[in-house]
Amino acid sequence: MSRHLLHTLALAGLTSAIFTSDAFAHCFVGARFLPATLITDDPCVADEMSLPTVAWSKTADVPPASQLNLGFDFSKRITENFGVTVSQGWSSIRQADGTLSQGFGNFETTFQYQILKDREHELAILSGLIVDWGHTGSTGSGFATDFSLVTPTVYFGKGFGDLPSSFGGLRAFAVTGQVGYQIPTNSFDFTQNVFIPQQLVYGASLQYSMPYLKSEIVDLGLPEFINHLIPVVEASLTTPVANNFGNPYTTTGTVNPGVIWVGSYFQVGLEAMIPINRQSGTGVGVIGQLHLYLDDMFPSTLGQPLFGGTSSTRKLTF
Amino acid sequence: MRIHTLAATTLLTLTISTTAWAHAFLDHAEPRVGSSTQTAPKEVVLFYSQNLEPAFSTIEVSDANGARVDQGKPKISASTMRIGVKPLPPGTYRVRWQVLSVDTHTTEGSFTFHVGP
Repeated sequence: MSRHLLHTLALAGLTSAIFTSDAFAHCFVGARFLPATLITDDPCVADEMSLPTVAWSKTADVPPASQLNLGFDFSKRITENFGVTVSQGWSSIRQADGTLSQGFGNFETTFQYQILKDREHELAILSGLIVDWGHTGSTGSGFATDFSLVTPTVYFGKGFGDLPSSFGGLRAFAVTGQVGYQIPTNSFDFTQNVFIPQQLVYGASLQYSMPYLKSEIVDLGLPEFINHLIPVVEASLTTPVANNFGNPYTTTGTVNPGVIWVGSYFQVGLEAMIPINRQSGTGVGVIGQLHLYLDDMFPSTLGQPLFGGTSSTRKLTF
Repeated sequence: MRIHTLAATTLLTLTISTTAWAHAFLDHAEPRVGSSTQTAPKEVVLFYSQNLEPAFSTIEVSDANGARVDQGKPKISASTMRIGVKPLPPGTYRVRWQVLSVDTHTTEGSFTFHVGP
């Protein structure tokens, strides 16, 4: 073999290694895969898209109105650890008397930075800043505000695969969550003559991974469809904490039991939406989502970070 | 009509472009994950959901004390990875693996199997 050929092969190998992304985009932490949950965010930057998220529920009004929400999210890694998500929602509310109002919510961007991924302990921590841009939606019909909302947020995820083997199937459990502090850019709404509160926005999920059970703990020989399921219970809550003069400090939100089917390129989620109190809604709603893994669908283009997506392959060590 | 054509083309493009690549998940293993077997296996075989890159995929088998009991180099063919093991006395063994799928996604995992009564 000529020296030139050797150099060429060495260069090709080096290039291959350099251009092979570590590529844990969508949320892998060690052996754990944390799916994109429907009403809270997973704790990883990723190249992914939710198209669409559809939710139906009845409002807390008396009599209640029917509300339909359609949502779209697109997440893109800018670097290996920094990503941006753009979101847009559209809502339709039909009052009991048949009155219909429709419109877009404000345009939202979320900037996220991956602080930690501990493979051994299946632990991920992410920091974020959610910005709901005022006056970018249907302010006239009440679906959007003319002020912005800024929400510094911390996200976390933890799988329990690092528990001793004696815990058996319990090791397939994982939790994720997020806590944010929402700050409006205006403190008073002169159109409705009310204070605009600062709010604690928080949520969590408890999930049981059948794929993890099968590949890490015990293969029970279950049907393939079952082996792709992740039953989940999510909660998303909001509590006013400041600048809420004259209004009750009532926590509102929903608890959502459901299931996520996880495939190689996409996942499908379906959950019931149960209001935690009368102020949060009427009766049980439903939410569904089709979520696409862009890093798997387009691994060499759209699924790569814009910059530095060519991080060298992690040395395969245990 | 144009919208329908565009939608169909987009869907077709997505379908075509997503038929071969993704993270490699462990589909099943021999011995089976978490199983107990009376007869000691002579090799451990892992079957994945995607084809593997041999140069960046590896496996090791160790006993309850952490001592390696695999022997030889991993043999990788398409989506299957196998490695021979030494004669295994009764006990619990841990298989640890890490693979790179052909689209450059890394996945990893580990599981145990038991030999003996």
